[in-house]
Amino acid sequence: MLYLPGNNPNMLLRGHLFKPDGLIIDLEDSVSRHEKDAARILARDVLKRGEFGKCEVTVRINGTETDLWREDISFVVPQGVSGVRAPKVETPQAVKDLDEEISSVESKSGVQVGSTKIFCLLETALGVWNAYDIAKSSPRVTAIIPGGEDLAADLRTSRSKEGTELEWVRRMLIVAARAAGVDALDTVFPNISDGDGLRREAGFVKQLGFDGKSVIHPSQIPIIHEIYTPTDREIDTAQRIVAAAKEAAERGLGAVALDGRMIDAPVIRRAEFTLERAGQMGKSENRG
Amino acid sequence: MDASAIKVAQAGTVESMDCRVTIAESDCPMIIEISGISAARFKAAMQAKVADVLESLGASQDACLKVDVQDNGAIDVVLGARVEAAYLRFIGVYES
Repeated sequence: MLYLPGNNPNMLLRGHLFKPDGLIIDLEDSVSRHEKDAARILARDVLKRGEFGKCEVTVRINGTETDLWREDISFVVPQGVSGVRAPKVETPQAVKDLDEEISSVESKSGVQVGSTKIFCLLETALGVWNAYDIAKSSPRVTAIIPGGEDLAADLRTSRSKEGTELEWVRRMLIVAARAAGVDALDTVFPNISDGDGLRREAGFVKQLGFDGKSVIHPSQIPIIHEIYTPTDREIDTAQRIVAAAKEAAERGLGAVALDGRMIDAPVIRRAEFTLERAGQMGKSENRG
Repeated sequence: MDASAIKVAQAGTVESMDCRVTIAESDCPMIIEISGISAARFKAAMQAKVADVLESLGASQDACLKVDVQDNGAIDVVLGARVEAAYLRFIGVYES
């Protein structure tokens, strides 16, 4: 998912050409306070135009601790965005406030109530600590995402090349996300010239279980796709597992062996997930 | 008119695919000037777009305004958004 500065027409109009899985139009940190009005109008009109290829489009609004977020929602939700990314979420109440405001705007603008998802950015220690409760606080919540720079500052540390300071946070968020039944998406890798560092970090978070990772520069997209796209061998194995499981079910068997290995429910779930990532089960979940 | 008292508002930039729209108090009727890379080919269409957006915001062609567009490849949707932002700043809905 590629962040696009909300007041930059060049990026807003061309971002999808770099073929990310998703676009995040940013009205928060990349837009200065005195340009928020112009960015909202531009984002609204570019969303209305709707030329984003196959990308899922979300908007990072300003945080609920500001006086800006309600107007952000009033501009973008009527355009039918997939979701809003809420920064610095710390409590379930913040999500409930968002949910209520989004419902009101959806209702007034003819957008199906409940269709706008909420992606929660947990950028403070309190937000991370409340991760599970935040993820369960509204059916709109579809993902939780750890913060990067803001979270490091709140933890009274700084971001390192190794990502030591975020390691426990990432492990915790995976558990919270899975327990709550939402996606876990990773924060951006800030050094756009360090492809090896990004590859290492993306591999690490994928192994932890993260469903995808946001990027801040088009050059980072191919690396995320490389990490998250299953190999031909992985796809072949997954297809054989799913087929064997289907055959076993048809024959009334509880379990079956394939290549000398017992195939049980967790193995089948992993195989189905691999095929989803590869776009071979009618749904692609790999996100760059 | 006292030049020091002229009200002016601006939105947009001269970065690639953007335009800078400046709206100022002026003599009536409205003057719309277009300069920049698309002016030679699309001046009339751009002037019409500016007029349409302002009309939708309540500023008719009789309004005492001068609109100056410095273009660097803005497509229709961007031009419209910049005109709207500049005009809302001009009438004080937003601070510029």
